[in-house]
Amino acid sequence: MDAILSGQLLAAALVTGALYALTALGLNLVYGTMRLLNVAHGDLVMIGAYVAFWAFSFAALSPLLSLIGAGALAALLGAALYYGLFQRMFDGSRAAQRLEANSLLLFFGVSVILQNVAALQFSGTPRGFQYLSDVYRLGNVALTGNRIAAFAVAIVLCFGILAFLRFHVVGLAIKALIQRRDAAAVVGVDIERVQLLTICVGFATAAIAGSLVSMTEQISPFMGFPFTIAAFVVIILGGLGNITGGIAAGFLLGALETYGVAVTSSAYRSILIYGIFVLILLVRPQGLLGGRRIVR
Amino acid sequence: MSMRATAVGLLALGIATAALPLMAGDYFVGVALWLLMYVALTQSWTVLSGMTGYVSLGHVVFYGLGGYVAALAWGALPLIAIVPLAGLAAFLLAVLIGLPVLRVRGPYFVILTFGVAELVKHVVVAIEGWLGKFSRVLFGAPDMITLFYIMLALAAAATALTASVRASRFGHGLLAIRENEEAAETVGVPSVRFKLLAFGLSALVPGMVGSVMVLRSTYFEPQQLFDPVISFTIVTMAVVGGSDDVKGPLLGAAGFVLLSELLWANAPQVYMILLGLLLIVFVLFMPEGLSGKLFPPRRRGAA
Repeated sequence: MDAILSGQLLAAALVTGALYALTALGLNLVYGTMRLLNVAHGDLVMIGAYVAFWAFSFAALSPLLSLIGAGALAALLGAALYYGLFQRMFDGSRAAQRLEANSLLLFFGVSVILQNVAALQFSGTPRGFQYLSDVYRLGNVALTGNRIAAFAVAIVLCFGILAFLRFHVVGLAIKALIQRRDAAAVVGVDIERVQLLTICVGFATAAIAGSLVSMTEQISPFMGFPFTIAAFVVIILGGLGNITGGIAAGFLLGALETYGVAVTSSAYRSILIYGIFVLILLVRPQGLLGGRRIVR
Repeated sequence: MSMRATAVGLLALGIATAALPLMAGDYFVGVALWLLMYVALTQSWTVLSGMTGYVSLGHVVFYGLGGYVAALAWGALPLIAIVPLAGLAAFLLAVLIGLPVLRVRGPYFVILTFGVAELVKHVVVAIEGWLGKFSRVLFGAPDMITLFYIMLALAAAATALTASVRASRFGHGLLAIRENEEAAETVGVPSVRFKLLAFGLSALVPGMVGSVMVLRSTYFEPQQLFDPVISFTIVTMAVVGGSDDVKGPLLGAAGFVLLSELLWANAPQVYMILLGLLLIVFVLFMPEGLSGKLFPPRRRGAA
């Protein structure tokens, strides 16, 4: 029982939660503004992780710097996919009607391509590197430096984006698009540009989360999948399109996972995540925390 | 092409396939078995997902369950009992999970079916771990020719089932659900019952297929039998082939099995990349699939 109440577990839950919150934030933005179900989201995490790995291995570049490059690369990919695949689907009501379902199939294709291109290029072998792996003690909690750094960057980014959405005029335009797409157009939001920006930001945050993850665990071409699932669990828990709720839900999932594994065993980790996923979709698809938007 | 011409064509195809083991070696019989497996799986998938528009991305769960049932029952029951038992188990699982799962619509249904399949996979992994079994070897499995004929029968059964559902009142009800579920209910389509039955029927043959394939590999390992790539392949075959008539899954399965034979051994990643590319191209530019392109639907009366 002492182990359950220790600060150590709480710290682990917070670090995992912050990474989940950051990963899911991008998925939530892309879904909220464009109704695109990006099942390739976790593969962007994988791309970010590989960028950090190669930058560190070849140029000894800190992941905390190369994450800028990782974000930029993912943003470019987002822009390419936006122009190449999705832009055409927003015009025409028939295509728009099937957009959600089709986007899922399209992103599934993208996901398979990204995973296998990575496997072809980098081989399937898991890789890892040591960076900031010294242990720091805060009271009776011991954490490696890279976890502290990952936590700090994730928190700053999450709250930075929240502040941007609340105070900046473009951020407000994004929120307007999430709430009422047609009404946003009426009051003069440039929907095209806001959507492009959102997909770039959404993709970039996922890749940055990947760079952070690469400091703390091994990476492989197929590592993205659990992140996709976790991100979906988080945004459904928090209410689809509800950005603040999503960040809270990220921490909630981090806690559920950390404590759930602590009281049972790590063998049940996947059952726990998928169990929550299925349960929440069945019982309360509008989310625990949000609930303004009603899912059909 | 009229219904009768299609039926005659399919029958001829079936007879030609049945004669294959007499003429070709083990390699071709093995490839044909693989092809028939995907024909059976994809045809079955269209009963729910093609007709109602409820796209299942977790169909491997029924295949895997069938395989698990066969692995557990092998040695205790004869083959002739195991195959139907596996189908029954898959049917029951579909009806059991269908009641809550089918309430969820559209893209949420898609990700939910995927989640359910993964959940069941990890539960089976945990059960096997708890029993201390990390894989099961099945001794004395039937030879490949026997399994080939069972699979041919299953592929034919799945094709016949899909065709007969499509022609029936039940099938028209399912199509009405796809077009507009509320309107369908208003005109008296019992949508809950119809969807549940369609889900059950679409699981029946995949369960039996799983039992045959586990005997073919003589080996049960949950990660392999519940591999999500199988679900993904089924959906891609149906999208590329087209799921608006029984020819679509045949075309899709044949195309991909051919492609995988060319590429799988040497370049499995290239095969998967092509799978992803084709899925994207067909969703964007040819949503009616190969079969819809090659055999455009005629108006009533002309057929």
